[in-house]
Amino acid sequence: MSDAFTEIGRALPRKEDRRLVTGRGRYLDDLAFPGALHVSFVRSPHAHARILGIDSVEAAAMPGVMGVFTGRDLDQWTTRLRLAPPIEGLQPTELTTLPIDKVRFHGDPVACVVATDRYLAEDAAECVVVDYEQIPAVTSIEEAFAPDAVLVDETLSSNMVSHQSLCVGDPAARRAEAHRVVSARFALHRHTHAPLETRGCVADWDDGRAHLNMHIGNQVPHPLRSQLAARLGLSESQVTVMSPDVGGAFGQKIALYREELAVAALSRHLRHPLRWREDRMENLMAAAHAREYECRTRAAVSETGKILGLELEIDEDFGGYCFYPANYMARVIALIMTGPYRIQDYAYEVRVALTNKCGAGPMRAPMAVTSWVMEGTIDAIARELGLDPVEVRRINALGPGDLPYTMPTGEVLEDVTPKETLETAVAAIDVAAFRERQARARSEGRYLGLGLCTVIESTTYGSEFYKSAGIPGSGHEAAWVRIEPSGAVNASVGLMGTGQGYESPLAQAVAEGLGVRSEDVTVHMGNTDIAPYGMGSRGGRGATAGGGTLYLCALKARERVLAIAASMLDLNDAGGLRMRAGHIERMIGEDWQKTGLALTDIARRAYLDPLALPEGVAPGLDFSHSYDPPAMTYSNSTHACEVEVDPQTGAISIDRYIVAEDCGTVLNPIVVRGQQQGAIAMGLSGALLEQVIYDGAGQNLSATLADYLVASPNELPEFEILHHHTPNQRTPAGIKGMAEGGVMGAIGVIANAVSDALAPHGMTIERLPLTPQSICALLQEAATSPAKRTQL
Amino acid sequence: MNAHKPEPLTLSLSVNGQTYDLQVPARKLLSDVLREDLGLTGTHVGCEHGVCGACTVLIDGRPARACLTFAAQMEGHDITTIEAVGRPDALSVLQQALHEEHGLQCGFCTPGIVMTFEHYLRENPAPTADEVRDVLSGNLCRCTGYQNIVAAVLKAAARMRGEAA
Repeated sequence: MSDAFTEIGRALPRKEDRRLVTGRGRYLDDLAFPGALHVSFVRSPHAHARILGIDSVEAAAMPGVMGVFTGRDLDQWTTRLRLAPPIEGLQPTELTTLPIDKVRFHGDPVACVVATDRYLAEDAAECVVVDYEQIPAVTSIEEAFAPDAVLVDETLSSNMVSHQSLCVGDPAARRAEAHRVVSARFALHRHTHAPLETRGCVADWDDGRAHLNMHIGNQVPHPLRSQLAARLGLSESQVTVMSPDVGGAFGQKIALYREELAVAALSRHLRHPLRWREDRMENLMAAAHAREYECRTRAAVSETGKILGLELEIDEDFGGYCFYPANYMARVIALIMTGPYRIQDYAYEVRVALTNKCGAGPMRAPMAVTSWVMEGTIDAIARELGLDPVEVRRINALGPGDLPYTMPTGEVLEDVTPKETLETAVAAIDVAAFRERQARARSEGRYLGLGLCTVIESTTYGSEFYKSAGIPGSGHEAAWVRIEPSGAVNASVGLMGTGQGYESPLAQAVAEGLGVRSEDVTVHMGNTDIAPYGMGSRGGRGATAGGGTLYLCALKARERVLAIAASMLDLNDAGGLRMRAGHIERMIGEDWQKTGLALTDIARRAYLDPLALPEGVAPGLDFSHSYDPPAMTYSNSTHACEVEVDPQTGAISIDRYIVAEDCGTVLNPIVVRGQQQGAIAMGLSGALLEQVIYDGAGQNLSATLADYLVASPNELPEFEILHHHTPNQRTPAGIKGMAEGGVMGAIGVIANAVSDALAPHGMTIERLPLTPQSICALLQEAATSPAKRTQL
Repeated sequence: MNAHKPEPLTLSLSVNGQTYDLQVPARKLLSDVLREDLGLTGTHVGCEHGVCGACTVLIDGRPARACLTFAAQMEGHDITTIEAVGRPDALSVLQQALHEEHGLQCGFCTPGIVMTFEHYLRENPAPTADEVRDVLSGNLCRCTGYQNIVAAVLKAAARMRGEAA
């Protein structure tokens, strides 16, 4: 990292902590709206059924009930969501605000009760009688693609809502000339985000101004405002989105959900503030799910384990509705699959299935399965060829001499260090010593395993990426920096934090650019009337897009401040001036010396004595800037972990967990470390415990936190994090972004470690999660069929 | 299903040393009464089925789930909420340690964790890391991975024992 930075890179504790740690944060449900009515949704008990009728007579007559509304009602007051980006192989889809004729999953909202109190609204919701005619449910990818499958969306030609493929080079020829073709399979299970704060909103229609004030914890306030305005037939001037403190999101709070749109439409219809807070069951059943993939690879390899060509098939279970284009997540997996390795002959085929389950969306690291698939393939090569998995990684890994490296999909890697992080992790874990421990333990009937997983993490998606993906939209971000007449520094950006801790690191980006102390900068986010139109928080874009734009905007402000300072000091230009901690300094000889001028003096002149400003300098100190990052920025890391598997109980204990990471310039090391720990924890929790379970009839069996298991501190280890800091040469301050790679690495490394531990049983992990029950079942199966090498 | 609006009960609640006379329905949860009737919104509701621990308050000095308790059961008991523990400009020892160790991210689970350990550290001034993890397993955190929370609790314990940390 550059030593020249004074504010960027400081270990500054988070500004938001004081209010949050004392219970003084203001989350959505903490906001009081006198007289607000409460909304409760009636949800389908069936996975797939026609709605023959809805009888709300009894419910509507109950105490406190102001009305019961159906999909047909809402269809008059909202427009439908049509997703039809011009992407080859993607079927267009269209949704109503609530289902009218048919429900598509267990938990689908079919009607909406408005009452004076949440308890009364829920009482009434239970008394709405819906007449259903059940239809067979499609509950797996295999069923969805069967030739006689029932259609989940009857406007489509099949349940294969999206299908793309690509072939670069000649993978078939590589296969023909290969020493060996190694096949591997990877099934990742359905997850859900489970933020501690569930979804909710307050829609406050201001009838006098004909204006919607929408209070909602959301990652992308401006795109949400665009959606709300369009679907309600309002101008964007008639909608203000305000996101208060948010209790976690992880990708779940991006889309405009049907419930939120219904609440907004009904606030306008009833001319009354309305509030909705889903309960945990609704959150687990009906908010958004993620990550259900079946992947297969075929690697053509030389005798030494060099990968000559790679073929990949991905099938995704997308659930019943498309809130995002159906190729949105799987496509990135296919695009970056080859990641840290030198591969040029590559083919992929991606198929996405609609099923009678909750709709899928991006979840922290939407491409999470990537690293498990690639690194599991590497381990499969090592296993089949009897090679050391570290050596197979070494001979294929991209080194400094390979960069910049254009992947077969056209994605360009630059300023990444996969070979270096591999070596750092391998040295830190001491593989040779581990193998000795492992051999000793095996002789005692104990099963230790070592996993490795190198990650290439796509972090910041620039507009160029969206354009080449055929998705309308932008990857830019926007910011303003304002120095007020007192010298106070305010700034704003289109991001919205949901727990990351933006307030300190983004203040540091501004402070660095401007030349003030981070403590003296306040960053305002989440209100669309205050913040500039930006694309919000998703992926790992916060630091590069948000921090980068603020930094560039602050540089612009500094230039003006120094120009005014130069004129106040009677200098011809600002060449020998700088500002540090809000004080103007001048280079005299070899030293920076205080001039006695401070930002407060310059602000006073800019606002209160503008006629004294140099010629051509406009009054005030108000700056805005927008910035479009490169098509894609990448961070990288190598995870290494040691596990012990207890063959009696199936329990997995993690004895050691190391990550060597490289996310370039770090704005704030405290926050970055916290994001890395949190991402690994989420990956491990998902790989070991979490699972959305549907039965064969499409009933959701995991709708409490006692069924959908999120890791407690007893299941998670301490994480040792080792740093490389290779700045990106093409981004402001060399920032790359991060916060998702930990999920990618954790899933891959734990699966590989458990495979290594169970190798004496002739077993390979091909399916997650690795619950004690699933491990015991595998061991039992291995015992009864010794020839079996892999999971069913 | 009861189609009649339930008659509210009159009750007297002692919260953070103050007595409140209230009229609330018999079925109203303590968490909802604290938040809606008393405006004490620091007690968060994460699951309403007693698993996540975000709503943890102290009842007669001991941690309990406000979402599994009816307010009507609380007459004659002393309730303590996060609002009685520190202020933004005067953090408790534990809150200060959570801040320094980055033991919170979104902060939604944090008040419940603070209440759990304000109690625990009084009775167990010198816990091991494993003991802290065990007690913390009653509070779910989706953001941090727990490592920094454990470090913060250990740091706070050391400071409360008067040891430099």
